[in-house]
Amino acid sequence: MKEFKHFNAYSVDEAVALMGRYGERAAVIAGGTDVLGKMKDAILPAYPEALVNIKTIKGLSYIKESGGMLDIGALTLLAEIADSATVKSKYAALAQAAGRTASPHLRNMGTIGGNICQDIRCWYYRNQNNRFSCLRKKGGRCYAIKGDNRYHSIFGGSVSGGCFAVHPSDTAPALVALDAKIVTSSRTIEAEKFFEVKPVKTTVLKADEIVTAIHVPEPAAGSSSAFLKFALRRSIDFPIVNCAVMVTRKDDKVTAARICLNAVHVVPYRAAGAEQVITGRAIDEKTADEAGAAAVAEAKPLEHNKYMVAIARTLVKRAILACAGR
Amino acid sequence: MNKETTKVTCPYCGETHQSPEGLKGHVFKTHKGHGLPAAEGRIKLTVNKAEHVFHVEPAWTLYYLIHDKLGLTGAKQFCDRGACGSCTMIVDGKPVLSCMILAIECDGKTVETVEGIAAAGHPLIESYVNNHAMQCGYCTPGFVVASKALLDINQDPTEEEIVEALSGNLCRCSTYPQHPIAVKEAAGKLRAAK
Repeated sequence: MKEFKHFNAYSVDEAVALMGRYGERAAVIAGGTDVLGKMKDAILPAYPEALVNIKTIKGLSYIKESGGMLDIGALTLLAEIADSATVKSKYAALAQAAGRTASPHLRNMGTIGGNICQDIRCWYYRNQNNRFSCLRKKGGRCYAIKGDNRYHSIFGGSVSGGCFAVHPSDTAPALVALDAKIVTSSRTIEAEKFFEVKPVKTTVLKADEIVTAIHVPEPAAGSSSAFLKFALRRSIDFPIVNCAVMVTRKDDKVTAARICLNAVHVVPYRAAGAEQVITGRAIDEKTADEAGAAAVAEAKPLEHNKYMVAIARTLVKRAILACAGR
Repeated sequence: MNKETTKVTCPYCGETHQSPEGLKGHVFKTHKGHGLPAAEGRIKLTVNKAEHVFHVEPAWTLYYLIHDKLGLTGAKQFCDRGACGSCTMIVDGKPVLSCMILAIECDGKTVETVEGIAAAGHPLIESYVNNHAMQCGYCTPGFVVASKALLDINQDPTEEEIVEALSGNLCRCSTYPQHPIAVKEAAGKLRAAK
């Protein structure tokens, strides 16, 4: 790695002040498993002048339940979330998502805040030494459209210019399905509205804003949730497609559903069509299959990723069935 | 021009102050007996039970410090991107990847490497040899360290638990089936020694 300045921040205010001073010339480091890889490969046109370490901020690593809500500190390790009895019992999709992220070693390093703020994995964007100056780096074009796009978006590109890189997080769809809120140093944002496609950005966070906590409302009575991931390997791998579902049922009928796919679009993809299909009906093979079909009704795959449509459809079906214990 | 408002934080207790002068007064009053805060880049590290003080550069990884500077060459660097497990070390009781950790962020931490595990006479070393759980041997230190971290918290792991605990380590020679056998043998010896 090239040289850079390193600051340990001891409070959220200090981290915000440091990020305010450096702006886009600095990067935040927590678990480091994403940002250090980017720096080692020098994928961006500009190398960060400074890293602001937020691991030194006390009191941002906790899992607690209070006032009908699960409150998770931004620095909480993915391993701790996956192993938490509280999260496993009532917020199953989140525990399963955290437990399927990367590998056991990386889950001992990576934080929930970092997992939702991570950068895209598009192989043109991530190519070493900024080889492909693509749209996400304020460059000229998206190389995936005509190139090898087997792991790219099946629901179209971003509005601003047509980047087809998918969002790679496993916990993000679980948080969207569970209707979580992201608490930052200056505001509270709905998980669904947290993700945004801009050059060198995947979230709506400002340059001097950091995630401090995740709030997940306690699911209503009769709710259950599940997360499923399809990847080439069982461990140390990003999703080809993943899916989180939360359903609330009364007298066997679904009264409310939230279904979110990820790694299929530039931001986590809420499958509203599938939610409509399953609402008001009982969960069985037929209704779950119809919901799967509805989830991918608007898919417009590229040349090499048509297979992802079939995977997304099946994952939605299986995740709905998993919510009903099947 | 906007008047710059820089909040500063006490390095001893984390209390926030509106100005450097305010912080100075607070430190004089509350932390008079304390020594000066350590300069960034000076870290205390316990490696295999020996205490060290290092002066490190921000860009040094924990792997680089332990392997290249301290000379403990057991841990290996292969992918250097957190994707293979060959640089695994135990930091504060947990197996982590030393290539993706900055040394400067390790102040006060306790590190255990494969050298420490061997020096302590851990039965894993012998059981790995007995069961041929290696071919070229490059990934082996990472596997042994990850196995040791598992046996620290679970002295009677099932095959499933072993496979899960070692799922962050890759072996290009495909010695995977031998690892659960070796780990179970070592676990048996650990339980017998109790």
